Amino acid sequence: MQFFKILTIWHVLPILILLLFFSPILIILFSLFRDYSENWEHIYNYVLTDYIVNSLILVSGVSFLVIIIGSVTAWIVTNYHFIGRRFFEWGLILPLAIPPYILAYTFTGLFDSYGTLNEIVGSIFNLQKSESFFPNIRNIYGAILVFSFTLYPYVYLICRTAFLNQSRSMFEVGRTLGLSQKLIFLKLALPIVRPALIAGTMIVAMETLSDFGAVDHFAVSTFTTGIFRTWYGMYDLTTAMQLASVLLIFVTFCLVIERTSRRNASFSTISSNFKPMPIKKLSSQQSFLCFLICFIPIFIGFVLPILEILNWSLRFNSGFFEKHFFRISFNTISLSVFSAILCTFIAMLINFSIRYQNSSIVKVTNPFLNIGYAVPGLILAVGIVQLFVFLDNNILNSFEGYFLTGSIFGLIFAYIIRSYALANSTYEAGYQKISQTVDDTARILKSKGLNLLYRVHFPLLKTSFFTSILLVTSEVVKELPATLILRPFNFETLAVSTYIYASEERMIEAAAPATAIILIGLIPIFFLTKMIRASRLEDKK
Amino acid sequence: MRTILEISDLSHSYDDEIFTITDFSFSLKDGEISSIIGSSGIGKTTLLRIIAGLEEPSEGEVRINEKLVSSKNFILPPENRNLGLVVEDRALFPHLSVKKNVMFGINNIEDRESLAREYLELFKVLDLEEKFPHEISAGQQQRVAFARALITNPDILLLDEPFAALDKKLKRELHVETKKIFKEKGLSVILVTHDEEEAEYFSDRIIEFQENKIIVR
Repeated sequence: MQFFKILTIWHVLPILILLLFFSPILIILFSLFRDYSENWEHIYNYVLTDYIVNSLILVSGVSFLVIIIGSVTAWIVTNYHFIGRRFFEWGLILPLAIPPYILAYTFTGLFDSYGTLNEIVGSIFNLQKSESFFPNIRNIYGAILVFSFTLYPYVYLICRTAFLNQSRSMFEVGRTLGLSQKLIFLKLALPIVRPALIAGTMIVAMETLSDFGAVDHFAVSTFTTGIFRTWYGMYDLTTAMQLASVLLIFVTFCLVIERTSRRNASFSTISSNFKPMPIKKLSSQQSFLCFLICFIPIFIGFVLPILEILNWSLRFNSGFFEKHFFRISFNTISLSVFSAILCTFIAMLINFSIRYQNSSIVKVTNPFLNIGYAVPGLILAVGIVQLFVFLDNNILNSFEGYFLTGSIFGLIFAYIIRSYALANSTYEAGYQKISQTVDDTARILKSKGLNLLYRVHFPLLKTSFFTSILLVTSEVVKELPATLILRPFNFETLAVSTYIYASEERMIEAAAPATAIILIGLIPIFFLTKMIRASRLEDKK
Repeated sequence: MRTILEISDLSHSYDDEIFTITDFSFSLKDGEISSIIGSSGIGKTTLLRIIAGLEEPSEGEVRINEKLVSSKNFILPPENRNLGLVVEDRALFPHLSVKKNVMFGINNIEDRESLAREYLELFKVLDLEEKFPHEISAGQQQRVAFARALITNPDILLLDEPFAALDKKLKRELHVETKKIFKEKGLSVILVTHDEEEAEYFSDRIIEFQENKIIVR
């Protein structure tokens, strides 16, 4: 049919962007078919097993803890009245504002033998200066704790939604069949939200595998630290790419499980005869216990690091806000806002193409464009460097030196690929609110293509536009591994600066950039909080 | 009277298996008002969307003013058909004032504003010109939707249950007013409705979609 025969710009654009997004990933995967160097043999024989085992221990430990913290807290705030429940409903997502690497830095600042908490406990119990009250945190178990207490909100959010959507009648039937409250949670509630739980856990697993800053700080050998060392220590980009391919296979496995689980999660959603769960009142002892269970994750994942950063800030003699801080803040904000605007425009054009063309070719591309969020920043960075080197050597060779390699373009490109899913989700939500009849009527009134986008969709989607810019900006500000690799020479951002100070053990100086990252990280929390408040049926009444 | 719309042997299915419309032929004369009635899901709105160019037919042809606009291998985009469309939910653009909604489809006319006012007056909503859709009632919104559709001087006006969301009294009032305007302007209209009484009142001809047959009265 003519709709499918004539390819318009609205067909071609999504396909072109898809090719662009996938090219660095494909370059990484093609490296598997290249020659394997001596470095690879060394890695294969001596350290690859460590990378695999450590990554598996890390992912298993973190998954176990986030399932427990996320599901139990979600169940409690959904079903019980207790002190501070309304605060905990949104307060439990606060640790999302703190990137794992910043929690790792503050943990060492707190629990090392000369750490703040260790000194406080030492003075209370009259311990020797060199004695350490707390166990060593700089190991894989410390890393498991760090990831668990920063990433559990992913599981909490997804479980809370699933629990809210469970019907009262089902649990009432459970009670009449002899199940206690505890057994209802274990035998009914948890199995029903299992797909959602798996999906949330897989997001956490992907984030854990992608991290570089925290594992590097704790000196845990994983794929990301291995890739970084191979490139910057051995100067062997090909082997780094081959290593990245192995990590990519792990991540793809998690992604497939996450996507399948999301599809299956529909059986825990609201049916037509839905009756919301009543909120039960608790005795004062039970209420206090629930308070503690919900408070501990926020305390460890948000309050403790904030207190430690405040402590660093107070000890920072040369002034918290100095010239260098303003320069890196300007670098970070300008770069992240520019990337966010570009990313948002791309998401807008793609979503408009889908809506306008309603063609299967266009629709198929969008889920693939979203995959960028699952690809570790480090892998993207390696792929982008290789792609830019190829383009500079073969297509842009009329320029003196390198035009793309080592430029700011690489950073922007990586940020857009990584954040597209965020921008896309805000546009998808926005478009769902616009009736198809608005488009039909506009087209009958001779408005088409860019005219329709400019006159009808853009004004109606202003909220999506600005929400997307804010969300992507805050995501980009936190990004560390890709920034570390792709940044131009001597170009620093808040994340890079925090990393450099922390790697030189200059924690006090890391306070200013770390604070700025956390403050910007609170932006998406603000939006999530609004959504959480709106999501409880009881609150709407 | 000349034929303004000609539909021949039209069939439509969403999945190439279950046909919502089968071998439907129909013609609409210039200035004629025809209604399509039938139960929900029987294909009335789909037929309207095919005429508008918003849906592709599986088989058959649609001609407007003797020009082929839809067939299995060809589709003229909706914006190039010179039609008017009014739907049940009004589909007013929420970010535009009443006047700007009405002016939306007449970009190339010199004195757009006075023409818009003329149509707003015709539909008795001139005093609301600066208001936004959410600030006016459902009946007033429907009047604005009619003004917006008619101002472009369409060859055919397509109405998809335009009165369904209104109460009985308001519906009756709008029936009388809109029919008078349609007849005065000599408009060719296709009205899709499930209300037989409404169809009887408006139409020169009624096409009834039933399970396995189509009856023209």
